[in-house]
Amino acid sequence: MKIGILSFAHHHGEAYISNLRNMDGVELLGVADDDTTRGERLAHQHEARYFPSYEALLEAKPDGVIICTENNKHLPLAEMAASQGINILCEKPIATKLADAKSIVDTCDKAGVLLMTAFPMRFSAPLLEIKKRLDNGDFGDVYCFNGTNQGELPTVYRDWFADPELAGGGAIMDHTVHLVDIMRWFLEAEVETVYARSNHIFHADEVDVETGALEMLTFDNGVFASIDASWSRPPYWPTWGGLTFEMVTQRGVVVMDAFRQNINIYSHDVKRANWAYWGSDINHAMVKEFVDAIRENRPPKVTGIDGLRAVEATLAAYESLRSKKSVRVKAS
Amino acid sequence: MKKIGIVGTGFMGTTHAAGWAATPAQISGFLAKPQQEASTLAKQYNAKNYPDLDAMLSDVDVVDICSPTHLHHEMILRTVAAGKDIICEKPLARTTKQAYEIVKACREADVKLLVAHVVRFFPEYALAQAEVANGKIGKPAVIRLHRGSYRPKKPAGNWFLDEEKSGGILMDLMIHDYDYARWIAGDVETVFAKNVSRQHPDAPVDYGLVILGHRSGAISHIAGSWAYPPPTFRTHLEIAGDRGLIEFDSEDTAPIQNLTLKSGGADAPDVGLPASPVSESPYTIQIKEFYAALVDGKTARITPEDGLAAVQIAEAAIQSAQTNQPVYLTPLDGGLK
Repeated sequence: MKIGILSFAHHHGEAYISNLRNMDGVELLGVADDDTTRGERLAHQHEARYFPSYEALLEAKPDGVIICTENNKHLPLAEMAASQGINILCEKPIATKLADAKSIVDTCDKAGVLLMTAFPMRFSAPLLEIKKRLDNGDFGDVYCFNGTNQGELPTVYRDWFADPELAGGGAIMDHTVHLVDIMRWFLEAEVETVYARSNHIFHADEVDVETGALEMLTFDNGVFASIDASWSRPPYWPTWGGLTFEMVTQRGVVVMDAFRQNINIYSHDVKRANWAYWGSDINHAMVKEFVDAIRENRPPKVTGIDGLRAVEATLAAYESLRSKKSVRVKAS
Repeated sequence: MKKIGIVGTGFMGTTHAAGWAATPAQISGFLAKPQQEASTLAKQYNAKNYPDLDAMLSDVDVVDICSPTHLHHEMILRTVAAGKDIICEKPLARTTKQAYEIVKACREADVKLLVAHVVRFFPEYALAQAEVANGKIGKPAVIRLHRGSYRPKKPAGNWFLDEEKSGGILMDLMIHDYDYARWIAGDVETVFAKNVSRQHPDAPVDYGLVILGHRSGAISHIAGSWAYPPPTFRTHLEIAGDRGLIEFDSEDTAPIQNLTLKSGGADAPDVGLPASPVSESPYTIQIKEFYAALVDGKTARITPEDGLAAVQIAEAAIQSAQTNQPVYLTPLDGGLK
């Protein structure tokens, strides 16, 4: 099984290299990047084969590719890969525009290739535990979620994360999709309405997109949920951010902190508190699912439609900012 | 020396009485419907058990109102008419209109009105506010406030659960944090709210989520829970600014964890309470500050207008939860329509 990585625009591309290398029966075919300097540098650093173009990598016939470009550049690569029958794992959000997201899904459908959205939280051990108990009926009915997916300013990884065109927005575009996907997965229901408020107070002089954001969603089964998508963690926070929720049910409340599994380190090297994560690697489990789905010729556990639905809810949040109302999600 | 009359002898009346006992004021007596409660407290403080409000008004300098929320308006207006100063438990009133009439009447009669938003007197909340005011974290941008406990219990006639009387969780519990959010980030412009009992009337629990938009541009997320198992009471605050972050969690900072073996089921009080031991109860700190305001005319950290503004937010939250749309608040300085 040969897998290629298309672009290092998203820093996850680097993590996927080591994920693939630690997987039985999987070969990292190589990497390609339209930013030649970055591509060559990171390929060299990770001792991976560098292809001079995306086309060259695809001609080497990978079984699947992981698309790690900027958010708004997924579509052309998805079209290119799908046309050659190559399966796709696409970074989230799968697109910044509804038409693009829809087009990616349709293209892969028509080409008969597997399309998976990179929602690693589906493979989080704490979340899987809750999902299992939820499906077992341990909590009774679910009433609401109080969710947070807060982070530091992601330009610490890549500048484009705060570029309105390349990223498609700021904190809302970056951090809405994970919780939306988790809740859709848990509830087996769709987002119906979204209300959002945002501001631009953190890092006001550094970036031109929203950095603070609160959203309230309703689902078509009556459940409601809030999401704090803010880039509100200061750069000296002990880790990058986190994802938490309280899930309120008929039997009380489940409090979940997906990245709580840390050791605290206080070192002369950094001179601030540092949380080192020892929980299970969600990216590894996600990439493994992609590989297994290809191998077993079955749909992946998280699909392109899941990516599309999360984009729809995210775009509704932006629509709510414009209209200053709670808006209905446009389902395509 | 000020003579104090306390109306209502439930948890709050009892707690305020303990606060007054730590001041030079004299507790003249109590007034309450449950006669047993009132006469027990009267005995304890060597005070009277008044038959009605008029009897109390003719005998005291200050009335401390700890009765159920829906009774505040009428009782306060009668107290104002008698020219007596007022302490009032939060919420100041059940509706914005009532709260506005109260504030206006007190202003016109030159009667002091001190609203007991006790969270402002909790040392962790007061410290966080002082640090924000000192500029420690720059301009507040996103504020998260969380207050969680179980559904209030009452031996009989549970007015807390009667939304007409208490306003339900969106008013009775969460008004604490609307007031605190205003203290941190200023006046509120928009309110969007949902709560479990509105969506699922048969749910055995309640939980509210509110998004506030402040005129300053800050946004606040307020969560209130009546969904935890007794005797849980936990609070969390997070104030993220453009130059830093303040957070507090009552669980993480609890100096004592009680893991002793309990015989049978642990008893929980009627209303969930914070339990981080401090040398002086925040309720007592509050009553002492109110006493100083009454006697020396010192400015308390909460104004009548603050009490009114908190009620306005709570009422808007209830309205928003009914409509699934944001509610825009009328600035109160211009008066109410």
